[in-house]
Amino acid sequence: MRTFFILLTKELRSFFLSPVAWVVLAMFMAICGLSFSWSINILREKPQDQSIVQWTFVPVWFWLYYPFLFPLITMRLFAEEQKLGTLESLLTAPVRTWQVMLAKYFSAVIFYVVLWLPVLAYFGILTWILRGKVEIPQGALMGSYLILLITGLFHLALGSLASALTKNQIIAAILGFAFILLHFLIGVFVMQQAQDHQEFRPIMDYVAIKGHIESFASGLLDTRPMVYYTSGTLFILMLTHQVLEYRRWKS
Amino acid sequence: MIEVQHLTKRFVGRTAVDDVSFEVGKGEVVGFLGPNGAGKSTTMRMLTGYLPATMGTARVAGHDVFSDSIRARREIGYMPESVPLYDEMRVVEYLNFRAALKGLRGRAVKENVGRVMDLTGLKDVQRKIVASLSKGYRQRLGLADALVHRPRLLILDEPTNGLDPNQIRQVRSLIAQLSTEHTILISTHILTEVEMVCRRVIIIHRGKIRADDTPENLARSSRSAGMLTVEMKAPAEEGSEALQGLAGIRRATAVPSAANGGWQQFEVKLDTGADPREEIAELTRGRGWPLRELRANQATLEDVFVEITQRD
Repeated sequence: MRTFFILLTKELRSFFLSPVAWVVLAMFMAICGLSFSWSINILREKPQDQSIVQWTFVPVWFWLYYPFLFPLITMRLFAEEQKLGTLESLLTAPVRTWQVMLAKYFSAVIFYVVLWLPVLAYFGILTWILRGKVEIPQGALMGSYLILLITGLFHLALGSLASALTKNQIIAAILGFAFILLHFLIGVFVMQQAQDHQEFRPIMDYVAIKGHIESFASGLLDTRPMVYYTSGTLFILMLTHQVLEYRRWKS
Repeated sequence: MIEVQHLTKRFVGRTAVDDVSFEVGKGEVVGFLGPNGAGKSTTMRMLTGYLPATMGTARVAGHDVFSDSIRARREIGYMPESVPLYDEMRVVEYLNFRAALKGLRGRAVKENVGRVMDLTGLKDVQRKIVASLSKGYRQRLGLADALVHRPRLLILDEPTNGLDPNQIRQVRSLIAQLSTEHTILISTHILTEVEMVCRRVIIIHRGKIRADDTPENLARSSRSAGMLTVEMKAPAEEGSEALQGLAGIRRATAVPSAANGGWQQFEVKLDTGADPREEIAELTRGRGWPLRELRANQATLEDVFVEITQRD
């Protein structure tokens, strides 16, 4: 465990020393700030069916930046180490491959969580300004954060796998984006099919990410997506471990 | 310290290391030589537990490097050929990180990092970012990293690669200094370095061990050992015949050369253990052939290396 924390600390330090991390953080804060302010403006104009939480987390433009976030966070994780050869010096120290992999993965998870914290602060500030005049649905807010966390874990694992597959960060980013887009499109396809064919409904409940985020943001917590994303994350992390071992053995 | 038995590594379409066996005792300094692609780095990477073997076993300080890899790795300080480092870190940060990763804690980290920075001359650059270091300092940092946890075995893959002559001399004297405390397996292309530092040499070629002895014994076994060069003012044919007539001389050959005032050079192959230099001097005096060179050829490790690696 001590080795894991030494590696995790080093990874977090590397993350915050990298200009890419700060650019991502700044851009994400700008996008989320705009998104939040648009949501308030829309709700000010006339009453809406959806709450401010839904307007913040599931507007159409959410899908324009959300899939890009993960490859930007994960592209350097393993690709850079493999390119520079530092993976060799890491793995010839008394360190196991899974410790290296999990430290890198969790550093990405921590960075992802940090990205979403300002939005939580926006809700806190809004609640303070409104002082009980308008109630912010706490269940929906918690549900939104929960689904963002578990889908984030899954997508960061996909990004890690893409980074383990290549030495080139750009290829890792493109590959990671392709994996995430493919998963998203499978969900969209299943949702469309489910409208006409009832037999697609149970599959949709598992794989349709768009549906998951929408239902969690409305405050409906469903355990099926949780099981799906958690087991998917574990499977992809195991696959990433195997890829790293394979690439080491054939180097 | 190192026991290697029938170690083999096959990649798709080629065998990089082919049934290699050798042992290195505690305190030995062994030069691991071979041309590029001979299997040196692959063997070293297997010894450090980075690469698994296709067949065979390897033990370091009694620990199997494959089944008990973590314990074996604690005993090893490894400096890879390309000296990969984290460019964004400061020198002292990098060493602190590596020391902690190798199991040192608290004060031991600070003490050992200070010790290796003194030893490798990194104190002056300890606050510098690794990316800004010169090649020589990067090499020193790689060496400091290998040494920081006081390993019993040092595996150094081309530690002087890309250094200028002054830096090579510094690293060489550092290795000589380290040899009093550590067992060292060192791979290099600079053979004079090996002759100066190593008390034993293993030559690997096409994945197989072709020689394993002291540098002196290897030099003695060279084809160019047991040869004399004689230069005198004598006709080529007559000179060869006269030399060949002396006891202890197996063969004498005139070296074809352009006319240079009647001076002729002869290559003389001796019987084992023979030293007929006095008789040759007597001969030239008796025949009235002025003599200007009579030299016993010393084979070098380079001669042995070339003979072995160009044999097939």
